[in-house]
Amino acid sequence: MIAQQIINAVSLGGVYALLALGLAIVFSIVGLINFAHGELMTLSGYALLASLVLGFPFPVAVLVAVSCGALAAVAMERIAFRPMRGASVTSLLLTSFAVSSLLKVVFQNGISARPQAVAMAGWMTGAFSFGDFTIGVGPSISIVVSALALIALEVFLRRSVTGTAMRAAAEDFDVVRLMGIPASRIIATAFLLSGLLAGLAAMLWVAQRASVDPLMGFTPVLKAFIAAVVGGLGSLPGAVAGGFLLGIIEVLLQATLPGAIAPYRDAIVLSGVIAVLLVRPQGLIPAVRAQRS
Amino acid sequence: MLSVEALKIRYGEVEAVRRVDLTVDSGEIIALVGANGAGKSSTLGAVAGLVPAASGKVIFDGVDITGLAPEAIARKGVALVPEGRRIFASLTVADNLRLGGAVHQPAAEARLREEEMLELFPILRRYYRVKGGNLSGGEQQMLAIARALMGKPRMILLDEPSLGLAPQLIDTVFDLIAELRRKGLTILLVEQNVALALEIADRAVVLANGEVVLSGTAKELASSDLVRQAYLGA
Repeated sequence: MIAQQIINAVSLGGVYALLALGLAIVFSIVGLINFAHGELMTLSGYALLASLVLGFPFPVAVLVAVSCGALAAVAMERIAFRPMRGASVTSLLLTSFAVSSLLKVVFQNGISARPQAVAMAGWMTGAFSFGDFTIGVGPSISIVVSALALIALEVFLRRSVTGTAMRAAAEDFDVVRLMGIPASRIIATAFLLSGLLAGLAAMLWVAQRASVDPLMGFTPVLKAFIAAVVGGLGSLPGAVAGGFLLGIIEVLLQATLPGAIAPYRDAIVLSGVIAVLLVRPQGLIPAVRAQRS
Repeated sequence: MLSVEALKIRYGEVEAVRRVDLTVDSGEIIALVGANGAGKSSTLGAVAGLVPAASGKVIFDGVDITGLAPEAIARKGVALVPEGRRIFASLTVADNLRLGGAVHQPAAEARLREEEMLELFPILRRYYRVKGGNLSGGEQQMLAIARALMGKPRMILLDEPSLGLAPQLIDTVFDLIAELRRKGLTILLVEQNVALALEIADRAVVLANGEVVLSGTAKELASSDLVRQAYLGA
């Protein structure tokens, strides 16, 4: 029972971490909190549904769905955010709300307001048993995928020139441009990565719920936003730490709160967030920014 | 090589640069001197593309580069070493150098170039894996210059390289600038330390309140009454 809860906690935390990282990557470079991030997740969910309905084999469908999330993020930047480059934070924020609302309406009217069932392979809802322990296949896959995605991202950011340039741009974007590295390449890559992570998170989310609805991305991305803020907005290690922390606390409370208090779980979690921010207003692992006079 | 014609820069209502004209010939060191707020850094910013020009032109190698993006100007061979160095504090010396040379040459050439830089700045070899933010001010200045040189620029814009450095370090930095010129680099130097700037420059341009008030050879300016009274304290 405890092993099962730990797996659930890490699995949920992993999804929050992927989403929080996507928010943090874009924020660290463009200073935008992309509230349409959840819709990228939803879009990937629908892409998975469509691919499966079209009869693609499951791995191909997942590939298509994740790519759709990534491409949609790049398209979103091109169409909605690039014309707003240099605008105030408020304008960017409003733009992201507009994109988010627009996509939600398109999903509701174009597809359906009701949840659509996604036929997941039977083995995904199965479980391993080791003696007394029973561990779900879904949460285990989720943990493995999150871990691999985090490692791959870390390698990309450390080893590749573009990744290094992105870390530098988070600190001082103008100077990166002085090195001759195009601003649009850095920004497009940031959105591509955030879309990729949202797509992966969507797969893990759908795998455990077997349905897609127009508001699917709202709750997890709201949680991811909280995770990113707790971790230190714009800090990538902070986003990961915040994501896991939030996932673990949620599952822990779910498992231990007595029935009468259980409905207050989110209120308790959010109080914890306020407490963390009172002690560390910059978050657990604050982002590095250039100190300029 | 570079000519700035009737440059005007505005920040909102404030006119930071009213009118600046200057030319830099190939292989020269031109010093741009003047008091705080005279418009020196803004002028450099406009040449590098970081600051938009309200009017006027910047011509590099016969091509109008006014209004181009900073990355486009950098690719043409103009490198700015910004005021306050602005090295990437969270990146290692190695990564700072790597970004400096990332787009200007194939990877193999960039490695050779890096080796040259480590020869020129042995201190950077010693701190190769250290984060830029952990270097001292002088070391950061070396790194900022090396990072700019990684892209094999034909012209380098130095903004206040002596700022905040200890006197011996200032000498080291200026010896280095002289050596870069001997290697054929064209240099536009912004400096508040006028005596130092006139010592190293071929020609100098004096700015006050966003306008050129005086220009000529460094020797002429060093002996001019205006410069002696206003900037050299003699």
